Order: sequence, then C-alpha cells, then structure tokens
Amino acid sequence: MIRHLWPLYRPHLGWLLGGAALGLLTLLANVGLLALSGWFLTAMAAAGLGGAAINYFTPAAIIRGLAMLRTAGRYGERVITHEATFRLIAQLRVWLYERLEPLAPAALEDQHSGELLNRLQKDIDRLDAIWLRILMPMLIATVAVTLFTLFAARTSGLLALVLLALLLTGGLLLPLWVARRSRLAGPALVARTGQLRARVIDGIEGLGELLVFGADARQAETIAHVDQALRETQSRLEGPRLLVDAVQGMLAQAAVLAALLIAIPLLRAGEIAPPELAMLVLFALAVFEAVTPLPAAFGQIAETAEAARRLFALAEREPPIHEPAQPRPLPPPGAIRFEGVSLHYAPELPPALHEIDLTLPVGSLTLVRGESGAGKSSLIHLLLRFREPSAGRITHAGIDLREHAAEDWRTRIALVSQHTELIAGTLRENLLLGRPDADTRQLDAACEQARILDFVRSLPDGYDTWIGETGMRLSGGQARRIAIARALLRDAPILLLDEPTEGLDLATEREVIAALRPLLEGRTVLLVSHRALDLGTPDQVLTLTAGRLRQTPHPGNTP
Amino acid sequence: MKPDDHRAAEAWLRERRHDIAPLARRQRLIAALLGVLVVLQAWVLARIIDQAAFAGAGLNALAPLLVAWVPLLLLRGGLAWTGDRLAWRAAQQVRSQLRRELFDHLRRSGPYPLRERPTGELGNVLVDAVEAIGPYFAHYLPARLLMTLVPPLILLAVWPADWLSGLILLLTAPLVPLFMALIGQAAQRASQRQWRQLSRMGGHFLDVLRHLPLLKAFNASRRETARIAQTAEAFRRRTMQVLRLAFLSSAVLEFLAAISIALVAVLVGFRLLDGEMAFFHGLFVLLLAPEFYLPLRRYGAQNHARMEAIAAAEQILEVLALPAAAPAATSSQVALRHGALELRDLHFTHPGGDTALAGLDLRIEPGEHLAIVGPSGAGKSTLLLLLLGFIPPESGEIRLAGAPLEAAHLAAWRRRIGWVPQRPHLFPGTLRENIALGCPDAPTETVREAAQAAGILDFIEALPEGFETPIGEGGRGLSGGQRQRIALARALLHRPDWLLLDEPTAHLDPDSERAFVAALRNLRGRVGIVHVAHRLETLHEADRIVVMQGGRVTDSGDWQTLCSRPGPFRDLLEAPA
Repeated sequence: MIRHLWPLYRPHLGWLLGGAALGLLTLLANVGLLALSGWFLTAMAAAGLGGAAINYFTPAAIIRGLAMLRTAGRYGERVITHEATFRLIAQLRVWLYERLEPLAPAALEDQHSGELLNRLQKDIDRLDAIWLRILMPMLIATVAVTLFTLFAARTSGLLALVLLALLLTGGLLLPLWVARRSRLAGPALVARTGQLRARVIDGIEGLGELLVFGADARQAETIAHVDQALRETQSRLEGPRLLVDAVQGMLAQAAVLAALLIAIPLLRAGEIAPPELAMLVLFALAVFEAVTPLPAAFGQIAETAEAARRLFALAEREPPIHEPAQPRPLPPPGAIRFEGVSLHYAPELPPALHEIDLTLPVGSLTLVRGESGAGKSSLIHLLLRFREPSAGRITHAGIDLREHAAEDWRTRIALVSQHTELIAGTLRENLLLGRPDADTRQLDAACEQARILDFVRSLPDGYDTWIGETGMRLSGGQARRIAIARALLRDAPILLLDEPTEGLDLATEREVIAALRPLLEGRTVLLVSHRALDLGTPDQVLTLTAGRLRQTPHPGNTP
Repeated sequence: MKPDDHRAAEAWLRERRHDIAPLARRQRLIAALLGVLVVLQAWVLARIIDQAAFAGAGLNALAPLLVAWVPLLLLRGGLAWTGDRLAWRAAQQVRSQLRRELFDHLRRSGPYPLRERPTGELGNVLVDAVEAIGPYFAHYLPARLLMTLVPPLILLAVWPADWLSGLILLLTAPLVPLFMALIGQAAQRASQRQWRQLSRMGGHFLDVLRHLPLLKAFNASRRETARIAQTAEAFRRRTMQVLRLAFLSSAVLEFLAAISIALVAVLVGFRLLDGEMAFFHGLFVLLLAPEFYLPLRRYGAQNHARMEAIAAAEQILEVLALPAAAPAATSSQVALRHGALELRDLHFTHPGGDTALAGLDLRIEPGEHLAIVGPSGAGKSTLLLLLLGFIPPESGEIRLAGAPLEAAHLAAWRRRIGWVPQRPHLFPGTLRENIALGCPDAPTETVREAAQAAGILDFIEALPEGFETPIGEGGRGLSGGQRQRIALARALLHRPDWLLLDEPTAHLDPDSERAFVAALRNLRGRVGIVHVAHRLETLHEADRIVVMQGGRVTDSGDWQTLCSRPGPFRDLLEAPA
C-alpha cells in the first residue's frame, strides 16, 4: 500500500509538511497564549502589590501577537493542507482511471452494481483522511508533546514526567483502545448498513406485491429489526469514543491538579516565583489540546487502510485480454467466424458459452434469440474483444481477432444496446462518442435518420443540453434514438444490436425500429434479442440456450 | 433549494425533538449543571493560586480546596459523558423512528407515486439521509444547548467579579453569531451557486466508470482520461472555494475569541498593576474568558452537521410529501360478497395532466377470463392500478356484487385478488417463502397445489433442495418464465376470486410465454381473470376481449367476433410497424 501511496504523496510533501508546521505553530501559540496570560496577570499583580516597576509592553504585545498568530496559523494550515490533499486526490482519480480502463469491463464485472461503484467513489474520498486526519495530527502531537515535556522539565523533572504520562494515556493508550474497538465493529457496521439497504430496496421494489399480498407489515418489521441491529453496532462503535472524550477532559483537569501539587512546594521553597506557578498550571491545562484529535485519528486507521487496500487491489488486477506485440493491420471487411468458441467466467461455474460455431457473412442479418442469462451478452463481449475465448477462436476475413490491436478492431463496430447507455454530459458529447470529429451538419444528418432531430431542435440548448443524472431525463425511446444516431455517426461495417427495444412499450418500440432501419443498410448485423423484431427477414436465426447455440430451422417464420 | 425550503426543513427537524422530549429535558439539566461546574472550578483554581502565590499557603493549608478539585473533575467528566450519551441515544431514537415512518408512508403511498423515482435514490433516502440527520441531534443540538446556557451563566459569574471584563464578553458575544451568520450566508450562497456543478463533477468519475463498456466499445475510454483530469481539477478548485469560505468563517470566530481574551487579560493586568483589582478576581475572570467562547466556537464547528442534516431533511420531506393512496388503517375483517365487478364511469388523470381514464364502464363476471388490449396510453395499466387500490379514482366507482368498494375495504379487497405484474419481485429467501408471501403459514400441500396450477411444480421438484431452494438477489438463477410462473403460484396460493395480470408475458421468449398461457388455461372458470395484454397472440383463450382507447372501452367481443369485423381490434392486429 505504501508502495502505491508514496509516489502519490511525494510531490506534495513540501506543502503537506508546511501545513503541518503551521498547525504546530497554531497549537504552540494557543498554549503560549494561555500560559503567558497567567504569568502576565500574576506578575502584574505582584508588581502592583510590591510597587515594583515591570516591563509590561513586551508580554502584552506577545499576548496580542499570539492571539493573531493562532488565528492566522489555523486558517493557513487548513487552506494549505486541504489544497495539497485535494490535488493529490484529483491525481489519484486519474491514476486509478488509467489502471481501471484496461480492466473494463470483464475484470470489473463484479464491481458493476452501483453499490460497489459507489463504494469505490467513497473509498477515494476517504483517502483524504490519511494526511488530514491521521498522519498530520499524529505528527503535530508527537512534536508538540516532546516540546511541552522539555518545557516542563526546565522547571521540574517530576512535573514533566507526570504530564508526559497523562498525555500518553490520553493520546496513545486510550486512542489505541478506541482503534481496537472500532477495528472489530467497523466491518460489522458496513455489513449491517448493507443489509439494511438490501431490505429497504426489497421493500421498495416489491412494494406492490407486499401490499397486495398483505406482507407489507412483515417487511416493515424486518426493516425495523435490521435497523435495530445497525443501531446496536453503531453504539458499540460510538460508546468508547464518547467515553474517551470525557476521560480526556478529566485527564486535563488531573494535569492541573498535578501541576498544583508539584509547583506549590517549589514556590514555597523559593525555586519558582508566583507568576511561574500560574503559568505552569494554565500550561498543564492547555497542553491537552495536542492530543484531543488523536482518538479520532487512531479510530480511522483501520477504515482508511481498508479503503486504500480495496482500491489498490482493484488496480492490480490482471487485464482480461492481451494485446499482440505486433498488431496486424485490419484486412478489408470479411466474414466473421466463431470456431468452437467457449467462454468460462470461473472454473466452478458452467460455461457461459459452449463450443459456439457461427458465421456472420458480410452484409448479413443474424438474429440470436435467448432468455436473459443464456449467454447473449457474452457473445457481444467477445465480438467487442472485451474478453477472450477460453477455447476456440473468432476470425475476421480468416484472421484471428487476437492478432489485431483491440482498439483497431473496434473501429469496425457500432453498438446499440438495451442499457440506457448515455453518459452524463451534453447531447453533443454523447453523439460525438460515435465520431469525435463530426461537425453539426453530420450530427444533424444522423439525428434526422434516427428520427430524433425534431426533438433536439425543440430543446432550448439543442445539442448542448445536459443529459444524465443531473441533467434532463430522456424517455426510453429518446435515449434509444440518440444511441442509434451515435451508431450512425460511427459508420462502421459491423453493427451489434443488444436488445435494442428492451423495456420500451409497443408504440415506442415501433418508432425505434423505424429509426433502426437505415442503420442496417449494407452492414453485417448481429441482433441479439429474446424475441424476433420486425427488422426485416434475418438471413439466419439461432437460439442460445444456456450457452449452447442451435440453428432455428425456418428463418423468417418466427413466432 | 430555496432558503424557504431550508427553513421549512430545519423547522421540521426541530419538531422531531418532541419525539425525544424526556431525553431533551435531561440534556438541558446536564448542560446547566456543566455551566455551574465550570464556574465552580474556575473559582476553586483561582482561589488556590491566589492563596499559594500571595498568601504563602502551602499544600496543607490548601488541602480542602485541592481535595475538592477531585470530585469536581469527576463530576464534570461524568456529566459531559452522560450528556453525550443522552444526545447519542436521542439521535438513535430519531433515526429509527424516522425510518419506520418513512417506510410506513411508502406503504400508504403504494408504488404509484414512486414510479418515476429510481429505486436506488429512494433507498438512499431511507438509509443514508436518515443516517445523515443523526449528527444534528448527537452534536449540533447539544452544542446549541450549551451555547445558550453556559455563556450566560459565566457572564453572571464574571459580572460581580469585574464588570468591565463582563462588558467585553457581553459586547463581543453577539458579534460571534452575527459574523457567523453573515459568512455562513455567503458560504451558503456560494455553495448553492456551485451545488449543481459540484454534484455534476462529483458524479462524473462514477458515471465514466459505469459507462466504461460503452466508452470502450467506441474506443473513447482512453480519450476520457484527459476529461477525468480536467473535471477532477475543476472539482478541487471549486471545492476549495467553498471550503475557504468555511475556514474563513471559523477563523473570524477564533479571532474574535482570541482578541477578546487578550483584551480581557491586558485590561485586567493593568488594573492589577495599579492595584485597582484583587488578583483573585482577575484570575477568576481570565480562567472563565476562554470557557465563555468555547461553546460558541464548538457551535460554529457543528454548523456543517446542521447543513448536512437540513439537506437530508429536504430529501426526507420530499418522500413524506408523496400522496397517500390508502387511508392509514383499513380493516381486512370486512366480509365482502362475491359477485360481478362493475366499473362505473371511472376517470383518472396522471399528475402530469395526461388523461388515463375518461369515463370507463366495464362489467366483469365472476370466473370470466377478460383480456384488455389497446395502444399504449389507452389506460389499461391505470385500470389495473385502480383495481389494485394503488390509486383512487378521480370520479366514478368500483362496485363488487352490487355494493360500492370503499377505500376502507381495501385490505379485505386485496385478500380477494391475486396479481402478476410485468416484472414480479422475488424476495431473498426460499422458493417456498416467495410463493407463500401472502400466507406464510400455508401447509406444504397447499403450496404444492399452487405451484402445480402455475405449471412450475415439476421445475421446483427437480431442484435438489426443492421448495427450500434459496433465491438469489432479484431471482438470479431463474429464467424470466420461471419467475413469472412463481409469481403466478404466489397469486394462486392467495386463493383469489380475481386474478389481475399486467402484461405478464411482455419480457418472455415465445416458449415461456406458451407455458404461462397454458397455466392460465387451467384456471378457466374458477377464477375471474383481468388480463392486460401487450401482444395479441396470447388472447385466443380469453372469454372476452375488451379494446381500450383514450381511456374508455371502444369495442369488445371474443377473438372470432373481433377478428371477423373491421374495428379497432383489427386495426391493432394489422397495425403497421
């Protein structure tokens, strides 16, 4: 983990350490302010009583100076360390993306559900704690406690030892105890939250059934039950933290008592003057500020390390395909042939595809039918070279696809898929995926053909309309037609249609099919669908059942 | 997010304190005691130092005061701990109760108002938003309580000792909330301006990862690296803009506190020098000055907990504002008579203004297999929603066996119906638990009969664990046809008089569709079936086909009759693609 983190942190080390230095300065100013105020007051009173002269300008000026230094130091420390940390996190995103990109989608398949991606996002954000909330407080506390102990030792070795013992109890022993408790309860908390989310989502998705079948009250009880379990786990985590907070406060008060017990005899013995007594007592009270953030810092170690571990484990996965050392240039379009192709996702699972033989002649329309889970998506992934066959080979114009660079091969393919595959961004950005250099005239032409141009023109921002989660929501039919326009712009000889009308109602389905027609012209088309679509007569119809492909005898005569 | 919404959300959050009134009372008492303790401690400490420094008192002479320090520190620590624990318990109670209320509200609203909300988002409200209001009760409100109680107590103690210091504290104290409010508003405006962009940029990385397969298929995934870097950088810059304001606000707060304390120290010092003031009083005031500002600073530091809770409360309020379809309590004990179902002049308009039903009249006989067809938007699904009690009719009525079906009879009516939706939801658990959703205590034999009638028994019994086979999340491992027939078994086990089917074969391949239709055929005459159909091939079995258009019935008859004459049904059959 440090192997990965060090190169990321090194360029920012100067700023991070500078920020920490400011943090230390702030802390010292704070303690100094209180201690000096006590000294100043007592000295002034002593001078007043004794009628002696005193230089009060210097301490008064220092007091004012420390007050300002404290404020400025805190502000500067926060700005600098946050700035440096966020720069680092921004770089980390790019770093991580560069590592995840070759893995997608095959090696990231188990990460596909939104929950796991969300966790990834949170894991990245969590790494800001490494410096801000863990290392820096520890660093500052270590230096500060050393300085404070040395300062106390100038007056009394005993006082220094007692203070050190109290600071170590509050800053090390108690935090370690909290850390151990949270290491145990932390994973349980994640698990409980996950369970609660699953039950809640179940209750929402199945709400209709729960109500009609009178099972909604039972679901409410189940949710309350899991909620209760979450409460108990949270309390197990929070309990020690609350206790340690209170104990730290008491330790500071105990330090005051210790300072009094040690310094008063020293005063009586004439070893220190009255102003020093006041200074030492207030000093003892103030130094605990150095260790206050430590329980939280120790408490976060396990969680943060776990987040970092997950991220780096993900980044170190094996890519699912191997690029050829000497990629062959693409031949002119030819037939695509699956020759005994099998695909295993894992040894213990049945094969996703089993000895597939299939030929897609140039310009033909092939329909592969099958229920969800039959292996249709695997077929598409193999053609896109997202994965490699576990056995057999796929050739194009007689050349094994593995001999081409994957990106070269994909220039030949356009895809329209069932998933609402629009990225968050403007309409234009979504369309330009198909052809990055397309001009507005070409966009218009593609949208016209996909029967979406009128809609685009009706938008106030036209192609610059923001779509996706935080933008405008498109209907299923509109989204599908945008995807078709994108595929048209792509203008590739091979077209993959993955359930292109899934989830649309009858009328919309018809519109989408009408929009699809121009796209089929002169292309080699593989249409994957659980039922026949009115896209013209396929040249061949095959059925995929549990990874096995069989020819359907009478093409064109589909139910 | 308008300021008004903020205010309403915060008012609502404060209202929740009524749920924890007994805890809140104890918290107030503890906060007041803590204030008294702070003053007492300062008094004892000032006395000890004064005596030791200027009266030459030794440990023996000071023993009573030094010993008193111990119970004081234990009491202060113990009270602080108790207060924190009470606040934590309050937060826990509020969260649990709120989560229950939210789900109960969803039970009343039913699925109809949820149809356009992504499930995940709604789930986040019930899980994350509810959690996010915890800190408001655990940290923000206690800090606020201490701020309102402790500084006045300290002021009360300082005033008799030194009115000038008291005056400084009194004058600067209102500046703290004032400056905070000013800067807080500026920060809020800034973050509101940037909220949209921030959330867009924050989501960008996630969105790109989610769509990596697509980007890769279009060879755009490597190009995206530059955009990721740009967005991440812009995100950082804007986040820092907001943060800088937040840091500035706390810096101003600290500055005010630090300068006032320094001012108190210096002014007290000079009067001590001139002999105008007793040292004990001066030290007492100096010790209390930081304690005066501490609750104010702590309160300022909790402001983010408040802002986050308010944002969460807004989401929660949005869910709680979903219209309820059903009354809070309906009795399932009402005896409903069995007889024909009559729909009279039903009207319904969707919230967007689309008319779904415009005077629907329909009579369905017990045991009849009725199919409903029509173009999308004709009101077929709306009709089912009405029959399921998920929406109330705007006007018109539903009558059962001649008596109007009232909202209060909803639970009883639902015991009489079975439902198979387009995509039935399967719950984690065993096959048996899923089939027996409506009657968890059903004997094995009954469950088998239902499975048999739904045509799924052979499949289940061929499984090694049979009915006890666990179902994966969302029914993973089962085909669409199997899921649909499990849902049919679930509906049949409910022993319905009426079976409501909402395009149950829309997502099935032809083989599964045939198996499902065969299962329906066996129910003929025993159960009234209202079958909303997507594709017409499945309807040869129906006793009667009703064609709906524009929210009303435009034709009806059996397959033969409708096919033999020109009309809306023939139009549907021959509709050009």
